[in-house]
Amino acid sequence: MKYDDIIYLLPLISVGTGAVVLMLLSPIKSFNISKLSWVTLFFLILSFIANALNFGKVYSVAPFAHLFSSMFVIDTFSGYFTSIILAGGIVTVLVGTHYFDKSDMLRGEIFSLLLFSVFGMILLVETKELFSSFIALEIASISIYILVGFQKNYTRRVEGSFRYLILGSMASIMFLLGIVLIYAGAKSTNIIEISSYLALHKSQDMTLVITGGMLILITFLFKIAAFPFQNWSMDVYDGAPLPITAFMASTFKVAIFGFILRFILVDFHELKNIWSDILFYVAILTMLYGSFLAVFQTSLKRMLAASSIVHTGYLLIAFVSINSIGESAATSIIFYLIAYFLSSMGAFGMLSYIASDDHLRVTYEDFRGFSHIRPYMAAMMSIFMLSLAGIPSTIGFIGKFYIFVGAIESGYTLLAVIGILATFISVYYYFKLIALMYFYPSSEMTNVPPLKGIPPLIIAVMAVLIIWGGVGNTLISYFPGIDFLIDTAKFAYQSLFIG
Amino acid sequence: MDIGLLSFIIFLPLVVSFILLILPVDMKVTRNIAFATTVVVFLLSLSIFFQFRLTDYMQFREFHPWITSYGIYYSLGVDGFSMIILMLITTLIPLGYLFLWKTKKAKGYWASMLLIQTGVTGALLSLDLVLFYFFWESMLLPVFMIIGIYGTGNRIFSTLKITIYTIMGSLFMLVSILYLGVAFYNEFGVWSFQLSDLVQITILSNLQRTLLFFGFMIAFAIKIPIFPFHTWLMQTYSNSPTGGVFILSAIMAKLGIYGIVRFVLPLFPHQYVEFAPYFVGLGVFGLIYFGIAALMQQNIKRMFAYSSASHLAFITAGIFSLNAYGMTGAAFLIVAHAMATGGLFLLVGNLEYYLGIRTISGLGGIAKKAPLLTVAFALMLLCIVGLPGTNGFVSELLIILGLFQYNHYVGVISALTVLVAASFMFWLFQRAILVKTDNDISELKDLDKKEIFGIFGLGAVIIAMGIYPHWFLYKIEPTIQHYLLDILKVGVAS
Repeated sequence: MKYDDIIYLLPLISVGTGAVVLMLLSPIKSFNISKLSWVTLFFLILSFIANALNFGKVYSVAPFAHLFSSMFVIDTFSGYFTSIILAGGIVTVLVGTHYFDKSDMLRGEIFSLLLFSVFGMILLVETKELFSSFIALEIASISIYILVGFQKNYTRRVEGSFRYLILGSMASIMFLLGIVLIYAGAKSTNIIEISSYLALHKSQDMTLVITGGMLILITFLFKIAAFPFQNWSMDVYDGAPLPITAFMASTFKVAIFGFILRFILVDFHELKNIWSDILFYVAILTMLYGSFLAVFQTSLKRMLAASSIVHTGYLLIAFVSINSIGESAATSIIFYLIAYFLSSMGAFGMLSYIASDDHLRVTYEDFRGFSHIRPYMAAMMSIFMLSLAGIPSTIGFIGKFYIFVGAIESGYTLLAVIGILATFISVYYYFKLIALMYFYPSSEMTNVPPLKGIPPLIIAVMAVLIIWGGVGNTLISYFPGIDFLIDTAKFAYQSLFIG
Repeated sequence: MDIGLLSFIIFLPLVVSFILLILPVDMKVTRNIAFATTVVVFLLSLSIFFQFRLTDYMQFREFHPWITSYGIYYSLGVDGFSMIILMLITTLIPLGYLFLWKTKKAKGYWASMLLIQTGVTGALLSLDLVLFYFFWESMLLPVFMIIGIYGTGNRIFSTLKITIYTIMGSLFMLVSILYLGVAFYNEFGVWSFQLSDLVQITILSNLQRTLLFFGFMIAFAIKIPIFPFHTWLMQTYSNSPTGGVFILSAIMAKLGIYGIVRFVLPLFPHQYVEFAPYFVGLGVFGLIYFGIAALMQQNIKRMFAYSSASHLAFITAGIFSLNAYGMTGAAFLIVAHAMATGGLFLLVGNLEYYLGIRTISGLGGIAKKAPLLTVAFALMLLCIVGLPGTNGFVSELLIILGLFQYNHYVGVISALTVLVAASFMFWLFQRAILVKTDNDISELKDLDKKEIFGIFGLGAVIIAMGIYPHWFLYKIEPTIQHYLLDILKVGVAS
C-alpha cells in the first residue's frame, strides 16, 4: 500500500473533517454564524490549496487502488472540477454569511450540511464506478434537500424541499434500477469494464444494458433539469434561500456535469449513439422551453432559474457534438461551465446580498432605478446579465462561441441555429433588468445594504474575472488569459485517457 | 508588448471613459476631457492619413494572438476605404461634441459617447471576423444606454427595440462567421477567422454560400437600414438624444455599408453579383419610399430620419451597381452624407434644445432670429441635395452615372427621385426656417462660438471636398480598383 497517495485524498479528507467538526461545533452557543463561517472557510481553503498542489500537470492516479478497488480516480479532470466546486463553496460562504446572519431560522448546521454536499460533489467527479457515484450523488443531494427546506417556518421553503426530495428520490430510484440492469448485463459497475463489454457485444444481445443506460440518462436529465424533467427546478430554486439557490444553480450543476462528462467520454459504443440521438432533441426542447419559461417570469429568482434551464440546453449541444469532436466539445463544455459558474454565481450572489436585509421576493420591479442608488452594484449586475446573454467582451460570449463552433464543426448546424435563437430570446429577459436599473428614476428601495464588506468584494472579483475572461489575451504576459483556461481544460480532458 | 497607432486610436476613448466614470469628476470636466480625447484621436488619425501609402494593401497592420486555439487574432489594418471612413469618424465626432457642448446631461452621456467611438473605430479597423463581431456588438451597449437614459418620449421601448433588432441581425452574422471558420478548418486543417484566410475557402456549395451571404446581409441591412428592415429607425431617431441620432445616422449606418463592402463582397463575390439586381431594386425602391415618407412628416427630426434613410438606400444601390462610378460614388456619398446629415441632426438638436419638440408648422421665422444657424442649415441642405460645389454633388452624380451604366431605367428613376428630393428639402427649408409666422420662437438663440466653429468647420470640409475632391480621395482609388477587380473576376468567370 502506497501511503503517499494520501496527498491526492487531502482535499476530500479536509472537507470531510470540516463537515464533522462543524457538526460538533454547531450546538455550542458561543459559536455564532460568523465564527462558524470562518471555520468553514478554513477547511474549504485548506482543501482548495491541497487540490491546487497538483495543478498544471496531466496526471491520473487511483489512490489506494486495492482498498477502494479502483472505484475512485484522481486526475487533472477531477482536480479541475474540484477546484470549481470548492470555489463555489467558498464564494457561497463568503457571500451568503451576510444572508445567513440576518435570517433567524438559519443555524450553524447549515455550514456542516454545505460541507457535506461539497464532499459529495468532489466524490462525484472522482468516481468512475456506478455504485460509488450513486452514493456520492446522494450525499450531495440529501444535504441539499435539507438546505433548501432549512427555514421550516416558510411554507415555500418546505414545499420546495419536499418536492425536490420526492422527485429527486424518484430519479435516484431510476438510477439504482439502471445500475442493477447494467450489472445484470455487463457483470460490472465499473464504467471502463462496461465499455469493454459493450464493445464486444452486438446491440440485440444487450437489451438490459441499454435499458439501464436509458434509465441512467433519465437521472442525468433530471439532475441537470433538462426537458422534460425541468419543472422541479423552478420551484426548488425559487423556494430555497438565495445563497443556497446560488450554490445549487452553479456549483451542484457543475459537479453533475463533471460526472456526466466523465461518464459520456468513456466510449459506450452503441449506447452512446442512442444517447446522442435523444440528447439532440432534448437539447432543442430544453433551450426552447427554458426560454419560454424565462420570458414570462416577474421574479428575478425564477427568471434566473428558468435561464439556468436554457444554459443546460446550450451545454447539451456540446454533449451532442461530443461524438464526432471529442476533445474540442469536452473542452467547450468545461469552459462553458466556468463561464456559467462565474455569471450565475455572481448574479445569484448579488441577489442574495441585496435581499438579505428584507427577505422580499426580488422581482424585476424591485430593481427599478437601482443604478441611482447603488451605481457600482448595478454595473456588476449588468456585467452578469451581459455575460449570461453572451454579449462580446464577457466570458459568456467566448463560452457560447466554443459551443456553437463545436456544433457547426460536428455537423449540427441546426442546434447552433436554435442555440442562437435562444440567445436572441434571452437578450430580452436579461436586458429588461438592465433597462429597469438604468432607465427609470429611483424608487424607494430603502433596505439595500451598502457597498462594503466582503460579499460585494467577492462579487466584484467575479465581475472582473468575467470581463477578463472575455477580453483577456496574451498581450499581458505572465497573466493567464483565455488561452490558459482552454489549455487547462484540455489537460483535464487528456488526463481521462491516461493510466 | 507594443501598442500600435491603430490600437491607440481604438482604445484611448475606452480607457479615458473608464477613468472618467470611476473618478469623482463633474460633468463639465468629463465633457472637456472627452473632447480633448477626441481631438487627440483626430490628430492621430490625421497622422495616419499623411503616412498612408498609395497601395491597395492593408497598412498599419497589428497582429497579436488572442485566442490561439481557435486561430483568433487581434488583427488590425487600414486600407483606403476604411481610412477615409476613419477620417470621417474622427473628424465628425469632435465637431459634433462642440454642438453637444451645452447639453445638461450627466457625465454618463459623455462616457457613453467615448465608448461608442471605441466600438465604431474597432469594428472599422478589425480584419479578424470574430474581432469585428466583438466590436460590432460592443458598440451597441453604449447606444442602448445613451438612448435609454438620455432619450425622450417612449425611450425605453425604442432602445429595447433597436437593441433586440440589431442583436438579432448580429446573431445571424455570428452563425455565418462560425460556419465560415469551420469551413476553413475543414479545408485547410487549421483554425482561422482572418478575412484574408476565409476568402480562400472553396469547399462551400452555392446554397451554403447564399445562406451565409444573407446571414451577413441581414446584420448589415438592419444597421443601414435597407427596406424592409427599417422599422426601428423612426422611433429610435425621434426618441434618442441629439448625440445618439448624430452617431446613429452619421456613423453607424455608414458602418453597415462599410461591412458590406469590406466583408460581404470579398467573401461572397458570386452571390454579390447574383443578388445585386435585387439590392439595386431595393435601394431605388427605398430611395422613393423613404422619400415619400419624409414628405409626409410633420416633425422635422422624423423628416430628416426618413430622408437620411432615403439617401442610405441610394448608397446601397450605388455599391451594388457593380461598376466604378457607382462604387466610387457610394464611397464619396458615405462621407458627404455623413457630414451633411450629422450636421443637420446637430442643428435640429439645437432647435429642439431651445424650442422643444415642434412640428414643422410650429417653426418659421428662424432666419431673422438666428441668421448664422440659417446659413449653416442651408449649407447642409445644399450638400444633401447635391448642389455643385459641395461634395454631395460629386457623389450623387457618380452614383447616378453608375446606375445609368447598370440599367437605363434605374438610372432615370433614381435621377428623377433625387431631383424631387431636392425640391422637398427646399420646401422644408422655406416652411421651417424662412417663412414668417406668429409662432413664438423668442427662446431661440443663434449659434455660439463653439458651434460656429463646429458647423462651419464641417462646411469648409464639405466645400473643399466638392471643389477639389481629388486631394481627399486619391488615396482610396487603389482600394476601390481592388474591389472592382473582385467583381470583374466574377464577371469573367460567369
